[in-house]
Amino acid sequence: MSLEIRSVSKTYGSHRAVDDVSFTVTPGRIFGFLGTNGAGKTTTMRMILDIIRPDSGSIFQDGTSNTSISRNAFGYLPEERGLYPKMRVDEQMLFLAQLYGATRHEASARFDEWMERLEITENRERLVEQLSKGNQQKVQFIAAILHEPDVLLMDEPFTGLDPVNLALLREAFVELRDEGRTIGFSTHQMGAAEALCESLAIVDQGRVVASGTLGELKRGSRSRTVRLAAEGETIPSWLGEMRGVATVRPGASFAELELLPGAEPRDVLAAVLARGTLVTRFEVAEPSQEAIFIGHVGRRPDEEPTLDAAEADAA
Amino acid sequence: MGRRDPLFPNAAIVARREYRDRTRSRLFRLSTVILMALALGVAMAPITLRYLDRSSVDVIVVVAPEERLAAATAATANGIMNIPPVGTDAATWTPPYVIERGTDLAAATEALGAGRIDAILEVNRAADGALSVVYRTAGPANGVLSQLAGFTALSVGIVDWTRSLPPGSQLGAFRTPEFRTESLNVPIEGGQAVDAVQIASRSFLGTVFIVLMFITILIYGMWVATGVATEKSSRVMELMISAASPRQLLLGKVVGIGGAGLTQYLAIALPAVLVLAFQEPIARAALGDAGAGLPTAGLTLGLLAAYGLFFLLAFTLFALIYAAVGSFVSRPDDLQTLSLPLSLIAMAGYLSARWSCCSAGEDRCPGWRPSCPRSARSRCWPA
Repeated sequence: MSLEIRSVSKTYGSHRAVDDVSFTVTPGRIFGFLGTNGAGKTTTMRMILDIIRPDSGSIFQDGTSNTSISRNAFGYLPEERGLYPKMRVDEQMLFLAQLYGATRHEASARFDEWMERLEITENRERLVEQLSKGNQQKVQFIAAILHEPDVLLMDEPFTGLDPVNLALLREAFVELRDEGRTIGFSTHQMGAAEALCESLAIVDQGRVVASGTLGELKRGSRSRTVRLAAEGETIPSWLGEMRGVATVRPGASFAELELLPGAEPRDVLAAVLARGTLVTRFEVAEPSQEAIFIGHVGRRPDEEPTLDAAEADAA
Repeated sequence: MGRRDPLFPNAAIVARREYRDRTRSRLFRLSTVILMALALGVAMAPITLRYLDRSSVDVIVVVAPEERLAAATAATANGIMNIPPVGTDAATWTPPYVIERGTDLAAATEALGAGRIDAILEVNRAADGALSVVYRTAGPANGVLSQLAGFTALSVGIVDWTRSLPPGSQLGAFRTPEFRTESLNVPIEGGQAVDAVQIASRSFLGTVFIVLMFITILIYGMWVATGVATEKSSRVMELMISAASPRQLLLGKVVGIGGAGLTQYLAIALPAVLVLAFQEPIARAALGDAGAGLPTAGLTLGLLAAYGLFFLLAFTLFALIYAAVGSFVSRPDDLQTLSLPLSLIAMAGYLSARWSCCSAGEDRCPGWRPSCPRSARSRCWPA
């Protein structure tokens, strides 16, 4: 089921949370909604789910307005994780699945499968408050998919997960995608987004600044990624302070440098050589999602917008 | 075309969860048991009071300067005050008053002050031969006893007067005159006079029912308001609102929490109502004839059914009002600010119930008079 967001805007008081946002989510693809905190990701998701209504614009699912579509077409994992703490896990899961329209029998069978799949079977009769944070997150994920929704929307689904659980959840996403479901999630964790998203939209202060498939965005990116290694040296600390370099990711044998928009790799190489460093490896790589993000937004995804930037946007 | 969000089954699913969540808690069960015991105690109160009252006997001491006058007064008071009820076996019946003779007024007064006796009937003869009778009690004079004392004084006067007749005059033995009371304001219902016990019973039951309803609405209404406000401010809400419509959630909350409240209410009220319904036979079994005329004599199945229906409708109305208020606040703490206006809403229902009871009762609501509004009282209490 394709999801189409057309020129959607939402204002709270004098704050424009979402400003003329448009993008399309294709079925059978994992869609990433990238942005810093306060970029308007959660508000957009709530409007897709018809929890709140946009001031203008419209949202369609397979050509039908989202206000006419049954609620059980969607599964939702909110950013603010919330389940009834004093309720047993199994009772709570069946309760939510029934609210979404699933029968108790069907939901019960699927619940058993997913508990086993996510390796938390022993927790089925425990109270939610007795679970660890990671397990609560997995249970919340099960709550979102137990009624087999056509569209699964998740707000920051990877927050607080350890690498093992992160991998489990990623596998689950891929499996759901392969079943033909439309999957969208918001994040500011570039690693997870890069590993999963086939298409994405980058939002900044309520506006979509770039959208498309990963290939399209890479081709259109003005930023560069450079891999650099120097003989006999660990990664020099001054690399991050060089002109034109946005971020430095140190690796075991080389460092990966994200360059600012407009910065040229040859200028970076010249600057490194000018310091007398013997360069053993220099490679201009495809830009990462983080590089693409920085290229469009001008800062890392986990950085808050500066006051100057906010003022400039307001002007 | 908008989305179709029928109330059911989602409202029922939410209601079931809310109901189970509350009724399964240990605190709910414990408080229900405690309140049930309290309610049973209250329901048994009329019988208990009658029982305690039955075992107490009033002691009245007769003090007179002449032996014959004292003997005549004691015999007359005994004859007037201790009349066995109709159908009672006089041999097994315990008189409610013990009439004793005393010789020393100062000693009797001291005994009255110390609470060893309940009243003094002091008879004196003036120089011209006229008798004076003083009835003394430690507290305010009881209406019935004062009247009986007055009759005793009159009767002693007659006895004393007959002694002054010429010898040989033929007079029969003194007999206690038949005594009864009549009221100008006899209540009528369906063309028939309504028994005074029925009137008192209706007043008692009306008060009990109205107070019960008021308390229930106040307490369980706040349960509903708090439940809605808590859920609204919780993190669960975002998930719930994506699965069910606000109307479904609101109705489910009202029915679920209200149902839990009503369950507790019924668990408390049903045993108490059963005791009240069977109070007459219980009282007769425990107290004999002294158990007759208890204040629950008017409690019938029809009255209970009508009250149950009225209660349900009133509770539903108020629960929805409270839920609406709960949905307006952003935090449960804000309900504290609204607790006074919320109480006033319930108070409006309470006062209107009292008003309608007084107005409907008009001149057959003696029990209501002190608390009737002025306009209604003027009809109840003719000048």
